[in-house]
Amino acid sequence: MTKTISEKNLRLLIDALARQGKRIVGPKSDGPITLYAPLADGEELVLDEQPRRSAKETFFPLCETILTYEKGKEGVTVTNADCSRIPETVLIGARPCDAAGAPVLDAVFAWDTNDPFFLERRKKTTVLGLACTRADEACFCTAVGLSPADPKGADLFLTPLVGGGFACEAHSEKGETLLETHAGLLATADGEKSLPAAEPTVGTMNLEAIKAWLDTHFEDPLWDEIAARCAGCGTCAFLCPVCHCFDIVDEGGEIRGARRKSWDACGFGKFTQHASGHNPRDIQPQRFRNRVMHKFTYYQDKFGQTLCTGCGRCLRNCPAGIDLVEVLEQIQAEG
Amino acid sequence: MCEASKNIYLPHLATIEEIIQETHDIRSLKLIFQDEQVRENFTFRAGQFAEYSAFGAGESTFCIASPPTRKGYIECCFRAVGRVTEALGSLEVGDTVGVRGPYGNAFPIEEFFGKNLVFVAGGIALPPLRTVIWNCLDLREKFGDITIVYGARTENDLVYKRELKEWQERSDVRLVKTVDPGGDGPDWDGQVGFVPNVLGEAAPSAANTVALVCGPPIMIKFTLPELEKLGFTDNAIYTTLENRMKCGLGKCGRCNVGNVYVCKDGPVFTAAQVKAMPQEF
Repeated sequence: MTKTISEKNLRLLIDALARQGKRIVGPKSDGPITLYAPLADGEELVLDEQPRRSAKETFFPLCETILTYEKGKEGVTVTNADCSRIPETVLIGARPCDAAGAPVLDAVFAWDTNDPFFLERRKKTTVLGLACTRADEACFCTAVGLSPADPKGADLFLTPLVGGGFACEAHSEKGETLLETHAGLLATADGEKSLPAAEPTVGTMNLEAIKAWLDTHFEDPLWDEIAARCAGCGTCAFLCPVCHCFDIVDEGGEIRGARRKSWDACGFGKFTQHASGHNPRDIQPQRFRNRVMHKFTYYQDKFGQTLCTGCGRCLRNCPAGIDLVEVLEQIQAEG
Repeated sequence: MCEASKNIYLPHLATIEEIIQETHDIRSLKLIFQDEQVRENFTFRAGQFAEYSAFGAGESTFCIASPPTRKGYIECCFRAVGRVTEALGSLEVGDTVGVRGPYGNAFPIEEFFGKNLVFVAGGIALPPLRTVIWNCLDLREKFGDITIVYGARTENDLVYKRELKEWQERSDVRLVKTVDPGGDGPDWDGQVGFVPNVLGEAAPSAANTVALVCGPPIMIKFTLPELEKLGFTDNAIYTTLENRMKCGLGKCGRCNVGNVYVCKDGPVFTAAQVKAMPQEF
């Protein structure tokens, strides 16, 4: 039996979860923009804006301590970072392009060896996805095999209803548990109609044809043409729900400090620079090419998935106006 | 706590037992693991690498330069050129460093049994082959002829000078050492010339032989055609790719050449494998 929840009760649900000591993260106003951020109460939840940054920080923080060190007379003492401090979290109002990012990242963080930090956050987070009823001209989730109503990555998926409120559908045990625990805030669906899902103007794309072209066009004038204006600022990577390149750096003093994982980007000039000064990706077109290749062919080869959820943030926010959708359309047309 | 055994980024601690100043800016460190269990159980294969850290400065990637046939310690060799290597270079005997590893694949030494070996190295790229050289010399009877061609810009830039002398004096090793023109001192008893040319002149036979090549990209570029002229096939030539790395675990996204992760699929590749990659290294 499908359950529904009113907007008022959804906000009360947040209050109830917060009272249980859970950390609640959701879209929240921050001055003129919306960001995924910790919510103090249900009233702070913003339901009609796609946050400027993706939700990946919930699982993969911009900067995270992996160990601390302290030097003494007896040598160096290294203390393992405390994963148990990672709080039980509810990510609420995650757009399909954001909720879908986490399972895509599972592939890289849990192949061969497990990244305990990412996986602990995944384990302790319940995701309440939210269908989109509105898309802007940058949205292209439909082009990468998702949709504005795709529950991928969501434990519980909310679909806005005509006349207000949401249909709630559980997609995992965590989702079921949440529905059972808070049954008092729910109602049983009684023929309510869902609001029509958004329709991104991009439509679908032939990802196989794009991959086939990429696999045979490592050298192509297109790369110079597109990336000539790329400033290498890394905005696209930092806003992306699935870009996961990171650096490992020590921060602190001579005596004590911490080693941290922090976001990095393949668009940065020194990302691949050798100690000798030699750089395999010496110029921006080579770096931009790696970004596109990683997303649409290398990740496919390695993990059978596309490293893109079509959120549109990279084109919406690129200071040089580089449009990944245009790039893919151009590749599709050539292939 | 995150279970310590599960934090893949946590290094073992090791004490610097000995420091060898190889050149004015290149050092070797001999390291002993502080934890007794690690000391006893740490095993690796020739060609594998590790992440070495100076706490407060960070981690750097170098090969394990000592051979797996010598137990109880490992060695690394690096040039002080950046924040981490300068910090590692300023440490003293008795100081602590971090070591994560071993990572990556290795030279298939067992496949080389019964064959002749030709090592070709330039500059600071001898350490990744030195581990193999000693590994093979420690099992000397399993291999045929062993030829080592090693060059650097000047006599002073050669690393492992004591060992070069040892190899030179051994009757079961043919060492051809060279420096670039003008790099020789009054006592220089080796060749003068660029490694690929000197290799061509030394002309080791390709029959039943594998070649192992490490050096700066420009040296490798000119060495491969020389080996081809001598009759080596691309499957009989091994090299290592020395891409910049951070995690060493196939996650941080830095070391890839096309869809190949150097840290997981490498760092050891045959020339045939390297030629099949996008030429971006």
